[in-house]
Amino acid sequence: MNLYQSEIHRTRRRVLTLIFAIMAGVGLLALTVIMWFNSSTGPTEAQLADAQEIADEMNGEYEECASDENFFEDSPDWSWALEDEYYEDYSHEEMCAEFFTTGSEWVAEDFIYTYTFHLDREGVYIIMGAVLVVGLLAMLLSASAIGAEWTSGGMANLLVWHPNRLRVWGAKLGAALTITAASLVATAIVAFGLLYLTASVRGEVGNLNAVWWEDSLEIISRTVALGLGMSVLGASLAMLGRHTAIAGGIIAGYLIIGDLLVRFASIALRIEFPERLSLYTWVEAWLLGRKELFQWTAAGREETMVITSTDAGILIGLVIAGFAVLATWAFAKRDVT
Amino acid sequence: MPPVIEISGLRKTYRKRSRKPHQALDGLDLEVAAGQVHGFLGPNGSGKTTTLRALLGLISADGGSMKIFGEEAPARLPHVISRVGAVVESPQFFKHFSGRLTLQLLAESAGLAKTRADEVLEQVGLRDQANRKIKGYSLGMRQRLAVAQALLKQPELLILDEPANGLDPAGIHHMRALLQWLAHEQGVTVVVSSHLLSEVQQLCDSMTIVSNGRRIVDGAVDDIIAGHSGSLLSVKFADPAQLTEAKDVLTKAEEQVSVTAEPNRLVVTGAPEAAWITKTLADSGIYLSELITETKNLESVFLELTGTAPQNGQAVQVGQPIQTATDPDAAGIQIPVAAPVGADSAEGGQQ
Ligand SMILES: Nc1ncnc2c1ncn2[C@@H]1O[C@H](COP(=O)(O)OP(=O)(O)OP(=O)(O)O)[C@@H](O)[C@H]1O
Ligand SMILES: [Mg+2]
Repeated sequence: MNLYQSEIHRTRRRVLTLIFAIMAGVGLLALTVIMWFNSSTGPTEAQLADAQEIADEMNGEYEECASDENFFEDSPDWSWALEDEYYEDYSHEEMCAEFFTTGSEWVAEDFIYTYTFHLDREGVYIIMGAVLVVGLLAMLLSASAIGAEWTSGGMANLLVWHPNRLRVWGAKLGAALTITAASLVATAIVAFGLLYLTASVRGEVGNLNAVWWEDSLEIISRTVALGLGMSVLGASLAMLGRHTAIAGGIIAGYLIIGDLLVRFASIALRIEFPERLSLYTWVEAWLLGRKELFQWTAAGREETMVITSTDAGILIGLVIAGFAVLATWAFAKRDVT
Repeated sequence: MPPVIEISGLRKTYRKRSRKPHQALDGLDLEVAAGQVHGFLGPNGSGKTTTLRALLGLISADGGSMKIFGEEAPARLPHVISRVGAVVESPQFFKHFSGRLTLQLLAESAGLAKTRADEVLEQVGLRDQANRKIKGYSLGMRQRLAVAQALLKQPELLILDEPANGLDPAGIHHMRALLQWLAHEQGVTVVVSSHLLSEVQQLCDSMTIVSNGRRIVDGAVDDIIAGHSGSLLSVKFADPAQLTEAKDVLTKAEEQVSVTAEPNRLVVTGAPEAAWITKTLADSGIYLSELITETKNLESVFLELTGTAPQNGQAVQVGQPIQTATDPDAAGIQIPVAAPVGADSAEGGQQ
């Protein structure tokens, strides 16, 4: 317990923790500012008037053409139409109708773009994104807590103090998970607060009823669980590689290049439902509850494959547990020199 | 009182996939009695650090048994570690923390009062540097911090791997006084590894000398030095061609005698007396031209004991097998491993 506490203190005193906390805070603020300026509850009077003017002008163009016999001769923009054989048989009115819309078809709304942020419809996905990004930072922090201990040479000294390696690993992992969980929950709460504020001032909060809370909490809980798993993965890889950069490199490398290579390979090998070899597919299934994959058979029939969140949870959990077990084994055996 | 540390027959071979296995410890024995400052002496690469690593559970041994406070190590190490403070091979710390924070975190991790950090910083003379980042510490300051972390627990057994490394003369003096005070006033058992016999002589009560992963000799420091620093006889001949012949004669005449041939003289140790050499050689028809008795200094005692004396002007390479008494015909310095050195070592149970 003492060791666990000292590990939490150790992480809290690191400069990297401070940097990541600032990054997360700035990120959340930036998100709020963007939402704040993009969203509005509707156009203002002035905007409406401006838009109406444009609409009126567009609607008036036919009248202008029809009432002026010499419209085409006089207008340098349109004189080409008189020379075009295609319009030889057209009367003046017909030609005006060809080029300009008749009647009052344009309305003010056609010239105004308004986006209204609906907290009840979109909020949970934005919070999920924020938690995922902070989860990546937490994963790096967890990897660094282990990696820096190795690269600084502090691990040998720590083991002289605490010869029971499983306890050391457990304490470090526990501390990493505690900090990850705390930061992800905090992120979700702060993001919700900021979005709620944005929605009530610049958008629509909507109906946050019991069903909404239930669904949202489930999705956010899954996201937090994924973040915790990522932390374990980061720490385990850093323990195996004895370096933060190795852990970070493996994860980034897989997410960017490895996943792509696997996909290409699966397509080249004509594996059924090639997307199921992509990590992103499973992460999506886990976060959103289910994911459907489609493919066309040779006979032209559509086939579907459904990945449920349970499938995804088991697979992702097994992969992470595998690395954790490997790291535990390596740490227990390894000569520390 | 039973020994605080008992190591017998410790073996360790470092294996790396890319390199060929390297045998660092070859049946090493070590016994440390309570309340003493014990020197663990040996040349570079002789296995001192490896022994301490194995004892503290940092590396796994390939054979042998180890006990600390009578408890099997490393299996029972977690039960006794609270009584042991240790520094293994100039330890490294997270460089972006201050010395004080580093010690506070360690203290917290073992459930000690955080105020201990300041007490030990004071003890090792780092009070004014306590809040600086370790990144900015000098070698000696890091060494002091390492000793400070070993003292945090107020250990009953203090194990220090080359604590004098990087310390200035004042620092060494202070360290010596501190360790002796701990051992003799506080009853702490102190084990200090070193490769300087003079340092061990000034600091330690007893010592174990190792070379190539084996114990060469152990016992009270004064006894060992007295037993080896006596006479060293330099013998010269009018005709240098007689050197080899004379060497053979002397070696065969007495088992205890060891003879080293240098370009223009023979160095004889272990001879009963100077006259014995004159007589033995004369009996074989060899007449020497010069016979000088030299008193050995500490350095040559160490070189002799560990078999790292330069031979024929050539340095002995680190890790070279030494010529021991188990190989009596080999050229070079011969160490009477089987010979008891001083009263203590006779009881020390050397093979
Ligand atoms: N991590 C390692 N991998 C491979 N060989 C090693 C390792 N550490 C030490 N050795 C080898 O083991 C032998 C003993 O090394 P050790 O560090 O125990 O010597 P030492 O007595 O502490 O020397 P020094 O006085 O230089 O500190 C040496 O030959 C060394 O090359
Ligand atoms: Mg060493």
